[in-house]
Amino acid sequence: MNRLLAAGLTISALLAPGVTAAQSASALLDQGVRAYSVREYDGGAWLLRRALAVEGSGALGMADAAKALMYLTATEVARNQRDSAVAVARRLIVLDARYRPDQRTFPPDVLAVLQEARRAAPTVSIRASGDTAIRPGADAFIVRLGATTSPEVTAAITSADGRVVRTLYTGSFRDSIDLRWNGLDASGNPPPDGRYAIVVAPTAREQRRTGGGGGTTWSLRLPLELAHPPVDTTALPPGPPDSLFRPERGDTKGAMRALAPGLAAGVAIIVLPQLVASGDRASSARLIVGGSVAIAGIAAFLSRHPGQQLPGNTQYNRNLRDNWRRNAAEISRRNADRVRQAKMIIRPGAPTLVTGETP
Amino acid sequence: MKRYVAAIACGVIALPAALDAQGVQFTVAGLASQEIVQSHIDATSTRFTGPILGLEGILTSDRLLVRVRYAQGRINPKGGDGGGLLGLGTVDPREVVEGEALVGYRATQWLTLWGGPSARAYTMGDSDERWLIWTGRATARGTLLPGRMQTFIELYGAFSGNVGDPPLHAGGRGANGGLEVRLGETGSFWGRLGYRMESTHASGLRETVESVTLSIIYGLPQ
Repeated sequence: MNRLLAAGLTISALLAPGVTAAQSASALLDQGVRAYSVREYDGGAWLLRRALAVEGSGALGMADAAKALMYLTATEVARNQRDSAVAVARRLIVLDARYRPDQRTFPPDVLAVLQEARRAAPTVSIRASGDTAIRPGADAFIVRLGATTSPEVTAAITSADGRVVRTLYTGSFRDSIDLRWNGLDASGNPPPDGRYAIVVAPTAREQRRTGGGGGTTWSLRLPLELAHPPVDTTALPPGPPDSLFRPERGDTKGAMRALAPGLAAGVAIIVLPQLVASGDRASSARLIVGGSVAIAGIAAFLSRHPGQQLPGNTQYNRNLRDNWRRNAAEISRRNADRVRQAKMIIRPGAPTLVTGETP
Repeated sequence: MKRYVAAIACGVIALPAALDAQGVQFTVAGLASQEIVQSHIDATSTRFTGPILGLEGILTSDRLLVRVRYAQGRINPKGGDGGGLLGLGTVDPREVVEGEALVGYRATQWLTLWGGPSARAYTMGDSDERWLIWTGRATARGTLLPGRMQTFIELYGAFSGNVGDPPLHAGGRGANGGLEVRLGETGSFWGRLGYRMESTHASGLRETVESVTLSIIYGLPQ
């Protein structure tokens, strides 16, 4: 009957399409625990691994993940998969070095496996809150390291290819320590989007102290995914078109355009009395004014003759360029401000422990 | 009359700040001219000369413009061929008041079309003579040195008009031209040298006005 119940739970978990990811992880955990309690170990192991595999916002919380790992350890012990049980127990220790299982729920051989994993695993755990948005350089992403001893470790952000992006901490600590990362690399710039990790490893001195040169080495790895949401920036203005620039040296066309209105206006003023009041005797004032206007036109023509430097136009063009440069610089500054103010999304994954023999 | 001049002066002083806030450009100018008036009544002609002082203001909003001008002075008889204006043996000097209020449309960058009334009043002892002419005008501008020196020519003709009491139908035409020069490299003041000639006529009457005007303008001349 119990086996039938567990099989039913497993099948219902497989066929439940309407539940969200968050509900699925919790439901899978509950069903996995129930399967363990009715000794349906194969189905229980499958359910618990599925629950632990859920990522993102629907992933199990810290306590539930520890619970799932504890039951998976017990399930693997019950299935006579001791190596697998030890590996799972190590994950549990990495997740929460201080985890204390309920002595009444789990049999002694399961607790023994946990003790063995605790002895073999480093005494350091790493914990991060869920997805976090920070402004690089202004806010901080916080990771808590826990330890039952006082290990001397180094913690660093590394890129996918293992390159150290920034060292967060080097030294020993007791109980726990919060590592704060401001989202910038060692040179003070936000790293590009991609996969990174916070890697915690014992220092060489710690390795010598604990392993004596022949023990095991280890590293804790907390995967991180960095993403920068697109920032709304303003496009830089195009440079002023050639049509806006004035010639900086006189040419024939420009000289004639200066001469023509002067001569035309001068002549018009001189002949005005004939047009307007031909019956009256006009004074010589029209000759003075008309002559002045015509002379001004000739002077303008001479000042713009071909090859002549035109300081006014040179200054005008310089102002045009300077205004454009100032405008572009201002927009660049505003864009940089917006990029600086933009938040970076940090998505931590499940921490993993890597162990290996030291040389 | 002095009260009117004072009121206009106050307006010209107070208006710029308010207009600037509305995106309206303005220019104001002080005028000083030497005017020559040739007055013909039937076969009698008299020539007057004298200084005229005045103010001019232009408001510009995109393509629309408004121009007002006011001037006054005293002109004295000079020479003459006898009789006098009123059929007396001597000719009295004249107090002259003239003004215009025009609305303009900038058809192109260099051509502006105007329309509106132009008035001139002469006071001679106890009598006066008032001309009111409705004119249409075209002003052409040419640039000699960009931002430094420009010329202008304005031609105008009368649509209708009247003079005297009872009113006589009047007509006329005129022209105005000159040179505008910026005072200083980047200053807001311009100087203008202008020559104006206009002739108005009614039954038995003809007035020809010729003037040379020097102006100081604040703002870009339009």
